[in-house]
Amino acid sequence: MKKNLRITPEGTKDYLFKECIALNSVCKKIEKVFVNHQFHQVITPGLEFYDLFAPELSGISAESMYKTTDKQGRIVVVRPDSTLPIARMVATRMQNEVLPVRLYYNQAVYRNNPSLTGKYDEIMQMGVELIGSKGKRADLEIITTAIHSLQAVSSDFRIEVGHSMLFNALADSLDTTDEIREEIRGYIESKNYSALNDILDKLPESGTVKSIRRLPSLFGGAEVFEKAEKIIELPAALEALDYLKNLYNELIKLNLRDKVSVDLGLVQRNEYYSGIVFSGYILGYGDAILSGGRYDKIFDRFDCDMGASGFAIYINHIAEQARGLSRSRVPEVLVFARDDKDIMNAILYTETLIKNGVKAQFSDLSDENQAREFAKKLGIKNFEIIGD
Amino acid sequence: MKSLRIALTKGRLEKSTVELFEKIGYNCDEIHNKGRKLIFRIADGKFEVVLAKAADVITYVEHGVCDLGVVGKDTILENGTSFYELLDLGFGKCRFALAGKKGIDFFHGYKAKTVATKYPKVTRSFFESKNMDVRVIKIEGSVELAPLVGLSDGIVDIVETGSTLKANNLEVKEYVTDISARLIANTASLKLRKNEIEELVGKMEDIIE
Repeated sequence: MKKNLRITPEGTKDYLFKECIALNSVCKKIEKVFVNHQFHQVITPGLEFYDLFAPELSGISAESMYKTTDKQGRIVVVRPDSTLPIARMVATRMQNEVLPVRLYYNQAVYRNNPSLTGKYDEIMQMGVELIGSKGKRADLEIITTAIHSLQAVSSDFRIEVGHSMLFNALADSLDTTDEIREEIRGYIESKNYSALNDILDKLPESGTVKSIRRLPSLFGGAEVFEKAEKIIELPAALEALDYLKNLYNELIKLNLRDKVSVDLGLVQRNEYYSGIVFSGYILGYGDAILSGGRYDKIFDRFDCDMGASGFAIYINHIAEQARGLSRSRVPEVLVFARDDKDIMNAILYTETLIKNGVKAQFSDLSDENQAREFAKKLGIKNFEIIGD
Repeated sequence: MKSLRIALTKGRLEKSTVELFEKIGYNCDEIHNKGRKLIFRIADGKFEVVLAKAADVITYVEHGVCDLGVVGKDTILENGTSFYELLDLGFGKCRFALAGKKGIDFFHGYKAKTVATKYPKVTRSFFESKNMDVRVIKIEGSVELAPLVGLSDGIVDIVETGSTLKANNLEVKEYVTDISARLIANTASLKLRKNEIEELVGKMEDIIE
């Protein structure tokens, strides 16, 4: 049998030296923003029960989760997302906590992506969850945290804000099946105007159909609201629009006008979000590197009435864009113990050097010539011998 | 500012797109005199054009190394996952069809049917929508051969004039969907370079209409 000894599973990779430095540097910058905004770290298990991520509630398809079984034969998944575990944790372990709580995480999530697409199955994520508050204050705080996080790692970024209730209100008033509704949502998400028109042509023409038709093209700056107000008539949808406009006008005060935009066609994971939604992009990467929103609904499952919002940032994608980060991995001094009796002295001497701010390394090679050769190859300038 | 990079599907779609660009008034001399180059500057460097096989156009756009792409709806249906489809360019028109031997009712009988195709995803979803369980076999070359030699009961393939079918005693049993060339855009590009992309889309729309 062929043994897969020398390769890693598709969608995973090793991170070496500079790659780790780039990752850590991005993590540190973002962590600083999270901590400054008073978010506190939590860690959840790598394995969770499949039930927590039921596709109709999580918006994560069953086939994209890595699954196995536990000792009782129950299906468990390798964590495909960190928000639902945190919601579980808050609903159970933090019942007596003073609300709202501010939590952040820095842990990988796993998705079983289609083969040969070059996508990561292991995605390093950092994110925050603001749980126990609803409304404008919470929404603005979470979006601002997202903007500050992106600002910390990229000078050229965009963040776009939408509202999931806009599409939901419009779709609710359509007389159609869940399947067609989902198809419509998909075409809006992919801005597939022609397929969207085809499917809407089959429905009786109404103000709502007209609004949905225009939804994917309604993205950009403040002008979007003017256009949308002329098209949308449905009160529930107008309410969402008005709320979003209100938020947008507040966000403008950050003086990032061109970096913050609106997209009324932002309808991703709509069964999951129940209010504002937003995505972030940086120059040089072809997909969103930040996504988030309000997801009060998921607490219904735990019989809690709880406001919750948050976002996740895909760290490895950002780290890949980070160039020119380097820290020399070459020490200044290599300390060699001449004999076995000198080993501890050499180790202690190395420690003294390190304490004095010298990049020193104890040589674990026992042959002096080998050790000298090692220092030469690596470019270590000073070779010090302990012992007589 | 870096110029927008557009991936075109080699061959007919490339020619029609270049014609469209020239109607807008973009200089496409570099594409006409290809030589051994792989990346061409058009409209005096405003855009960069790369030529690729249909499915690769989607790959380049999805990964964001190309901002825009021109590709057939057939390829999108078979290979597409996440990008924006901005415009029906109106050329490269043809249809996906289910075809089988002349005079034989493909849908007759209870036996699960076997279908040969270059487009397994399209075929699967077509029969799924009919609640039919079929065996799909992927063929790389002339699919018409499969029913003739007895590998399959039918084929799902692109039909333009239907003359190949006729010459082989096959006929269209049902049309699956219409196909034409589409302009697609990378998700992040559309956000980060909205104005440039919308300007181009607007100009293309004006010519198409």
